[in-house]
Amino acid sequence: MIKQLSVFVENRPGSIMRVTSALTSACINIRAIASFDTPEFAILRLVVDRPAKAKEDLTAKGFVVKVHDVIGVELKDEKGNLNKMVSVLAEGGISISYIYSFVIREEKAPVMVFNTDNYEKAEKALRAADIKLVEEVEL
Amino acid sequence: MAAVVLENWVERIRNPEIECMSRDEMAALQSKRLANVVNRVYHNVDFYHKKMKALGVEPGDIKGIEDIDKLPFTTKEDLRDNYPFGLLAIPRKDVVRVQGTSGTTGKLTLASYSQKDVDVWGECVARCLTMAGLNEEDIIHICYGYGLFTGGIGLDFGARALGATAIPMSAGNTARQMMCMEDFGATAIACTPSYALHLAESLQEAGLIEQLHIKTGIHGAEPWTEEMRRKIESILHINCFDIYGLCEITGPGVAQDCIHHAGLHINADYFYPEILNPATNKMCADKETGELVFTTLAKEAMPLLRYRTKDLTSIDHSTCRCGRTTPRISQFTGRTDDMKVIRGVNVFPTQVETALLSMGGAVAPHYLMIVERKDNMDILTVMVEVDESLFSDEIRKLDALKNKIGAVLKQALGVSVRVKLVEPKTIQRSEGKAVRVIDKRGL
Repeated sequence: MIKQLSVFVENRPGSIMRVTSALTSACINIRAIASFDTPEFAILRLVVDRPAKAKEDLTAKGFVVKVHDVIGVELKDEKGNLNKMVSVLAEGGISISYIYSFVIREEKAPVMVFNTDNYEKAEKALRAADIKLVEEVEL
Repeated sequence: MAAVVLENWVERIRNPEIECMSRDEMAALQSKRLANVVNRVYHNVDFYHKKMKALGVEPGDIKGIEDIDKLPFTTKEDLRDNYPFGLLAIPRKDVVRVQGTSGTTGKLTLASYSQKDVDVWGECVARCLTMAGLNEEDIIHICYGYGLFTGGIGLDFGARALGATAIPMSAGNTARQMMCMEDFGATAIACTPSYALHLAESLQEAGLIEQLHIKTGIHGAEPWTEEMRRKIESILHINCFDIYGLCEITGPGVAQDCIHHAGLHINADYFYPEILNPATNKMCADKETGELVFTTLAKEAMPLLRYRTKDLTSIDHSTCRCGRTTPRISQFTGRTDDMKVIRGVNVFPTQVETALLSMGGAVAPHYLMIVERKDNMDILTVMVEVDESLFSDEIRKLDALKNKIGAVLKQALGVSVRVKLVEPKTIQRSEGKAVRVIDKRGL
């Protein structure tokens, strides 16, 4: 499992910038970012190198932040691997609330990040299908 | 252009003996009634007995209206503290109905009526309908809400007293309103001014105006401007009148303007008006703006002494061109509190606060109410700052929260609101009194 930050932002220009600026001045390294929007507001999701500090810093700056556990899966950069992972979960009746991926870097394989309503079941299904799970320490 | 121009208007007065009474005779009548009501509340209403004792005032000290400033005031908070039946001056079994309006927090403000109170209410509204040129031949389409709020019921009682045909439509469903107006041949319509404008434009769009027989509009329950009246009159080709009242006093029918539109004639034989400087409580001169305070001179069930309406206006005791001598209050210039009227319903920011608090947090989240008018309908948007306790990682949970806040507020306020979730610290904090409402309607 890896830690993910969620930040509440309104749908207006500069919303993401305000968050990333705050993190930059706190010397936090952003590994992944994804936003999920409605007509009026959005949730910004981030995987960072030091989630606890990032939360503390953002909260002090007036943001509303939550830290969650999400599943990280490392996929070999080959065709069909994402499809395989998603199929494993679908066959197991596990629903994915949202999913996004890491930027590839230093030759490490892409990491898919997703949230589900049943973590145990998901991890079990993925392990059984030989799909590599990623832990916080490995990032 | 209105239905009937001034030159062709025939003034009818329902009760000329009262409505054209000389000022001296009216003062004598009011004085007699005041002494009577003071005696009744002193002996029958614990709240007033205590208040008067504390001031060292006895019924015998009130010989006439000139002594009114010796009497205690009554506020909305007093009604709340004595909710629901603590201010009754008659046995509860003699209360034939109640009506309610918004309270400043969770509970309604409740008013009780005896049969005679109901009859007087109907009579007052009938005077207003007559002032608007209506009689027993008229068909009155009533699209004020029927229920605890006094709008629909009040006009209904008035129509009954007048002997006119009442069409009890209640509010909403514009398509049905238009169909019934056409089918039943309504000659008058009673609704809020903003709804009248909305309806007028809908009728215009549907091309139905020529088919209608409406010649009169009776509008109230919210503040409106001269421009709005002219606009409604010109689209519908009717004469519009401004009816005023408040549930605590009786409901609509406390006052209304005549064809000359030079102020609202108060039924002063039943409701004694004072215009007071809210800071000093001293009486204002005629035409000077102050807070409107009413004493009910003949109510049996729940008489009120010097009830502070928080409406700011001025009074004119001169005889009107219509022939009536009843004093006239000017268009309201504002309120001494934060109350807003949204689509005819009174809304207090404190209600929003109480409702948000009821959702479970230790402290109510910061909020801001924005009132706008779009297409002649009032829209209330409540901006709520998302804090740690409200925030959830999932969009659908936030969406559900937004809907839940909307439902809680609708239940508490009696009107639908739009909810906008905003980031923390976006709503301005203030050192002194928090700005809770921004009204963009320019009323």
